[in-house]
Amino acid sequence: MSDTMTNAPQRAEMKVLEEKMAMLVQTGRMDNLVDLLAVLSDQIEMTTPPMVEKMIATVDKLAAAGFMTENAVRGARRATASGEVPSLFGLLKLMKDEEVRRGLAFVLQVTKHLGRQL
Amino acid sequence: MKQIVIVGGGTAGTMTANNLARKLMNEIDRGEVAITMLSDSAKHYYRPGAMYVAFHKAEGHEFVRDQRSLLMPEVDFVVDPVVRLDPAHRNVRGKSGKSYAYDFLVLATGCEAAPERIPGLAEGGDWFYTYEGAKKIAEKFKAIKKGRVLITVNFPKTPDIPHQCGIAPVETTIMLHDYLTERGVRDDVEIIYTYPTKAQSVENGLFLQVPTSKVLPVIFDSKGIGHKTGFTLTRVDPKRKIAYSEEGEEIAFDILMATPPFQAAKVIRESGLSKALDGEGWLPTDKETLKVKGVERVYTLGDTVDLPVSKAGGTIHNQTDVVADNIAAEIRYGYPTESYDGKVIAVAQMGLTCGMPLWYDYEDDVMPTPCSKLGSFVRLGFNKGLYWAAARGML
Repeated sequence: MSDTMTNAPQRAEMKVLEEKMAMLVQTGRMDNLVDLLAVLSDQIEMTTPPMVEKMIATVDKLAAAGFMTENAVRGARRATASGEVPSLFGLLKLMKDEEVRRGLAFVLQVTKHLGRQL
Repeated sequence: MKQIVIVGGGTAGTMTANNLARKLMNEIDRGEVAITMLSDSAKHYYRPGAMYVAFHKAEGHEFVRDQRSLLMPEVDFVVDPVVRLDPAHRNVRGKSGKSYAYDFLVLATGCEAAPERIPGLAEGGDWFYTYEGAKKIAEKFKAIKKGRVLITVNFPKTPDIPHQCGIAPVETTIMLHDYLTERGVRDDVEIIYTYPTKAQSVENGLFLQVPTSKVLPVIFDSKGIGHKTGFTLTRVDPKRKIAYSEEGEEIAFDILMATPPFQAAKVIRESGLSKALDGEGWLPTDKETLKVKGVERVYTLGDTVDLPVSKAGGTIHNQTDVVADNIAAEIRYGYPTESYDGKVIAVAQMGLTCGMPLWYDYEDDVMPTPCSKLGSFVRLGFNKGLYWAAARGML
């Protein structure tokens, strides 16, 4: 393949790029864009592996909480799909279920640890 | 009621169980589908984490979680190692003696290191593919002040099948260079990376794909890492610390960091389903549907397959939806609808602080690109957090 064939389209593309860049320079926007790139680059430079680990640990905890909540809500929706409202005795009957008791104890513990922070 | 049984609670089994539950939620709600996972452990191990343990960059516990916490409640989870497959009668048997009948079966039992396949390797070599192995080699890397670390790589005897995680030997070699430099002993410790004569379709290269194989000498030379192809480890003398090759060479070492032979799980090797050489047990897998050839209603993915793609999480992440979609389609329409294109996506850890994004498929090889600090952060983020979201089927 000849040199002109490979380079001609590239030159045309560079010309388009040049015109767009010229517009950015003329309108004073280029300074901001360079600053923005510099800030991005600084962020990468100043980020350390422990910072990434801490940030991602937070994301992981949020994802885990979201997963658990979504699962619980879906299960509850399925269990109450009939729309039947339980009587007071029916509510107490729910307490016979081991998983209900385990969940309730967990919620009470969450309340306690919320209280500790208030 | 259609019963789906998933054997294996690793990356492949977990992702597939959750993806199936999501895709078949309407059927589950109507009581038409049930999903059961059978595993040999109540714990879930993120296996690539072991590599970091080898260089004291992780302790190991952060890569282990309760399997139940990663599964959607719709998946019935049972710790009962499967000891026998009976596809003719569509059931599997657990170690407990209990039989589990299935309408669809997913075999996701992974692969295991088999150093015993090379005489002397278990006694004389080390590897980072297991947490125990990684802890052992970490102590040696911490202690070494001078000498030679030799890197060897063994491939399965069955043609065109990779060892577990193809890029891992390259990653760990460069990580070792960085680690020893960090420790200030690199000048006195020689690192020699060797590669076998035959590595899938590559002959006399340094990697299992041509483009990467071609750039590796430049990368290794720039770091003073010795490299040598045509060294297929065949025997180790643990007392004299010498590695012997099939090609007739011998290299002395102080530490031998080996990629040992790998094989499928025992239950698969003994199932009679595999046609792999040397009893390695790889499952004959349809490269598009990911069904096990020769049996009905059985799917597989991940490290157990006999496909030429990497045995790695970045492969499973692209296979799992094909398996889940195909099982869902078989239940709904009676035939599979999705096709796996061989896609593998990962970020290679090219040293302790540099990450290289990579992707390839059945058609195109990896195009090596310069690694970057940002790439390393993406990998770190995946290792320490995003993986668990991916295992839960959230990503």
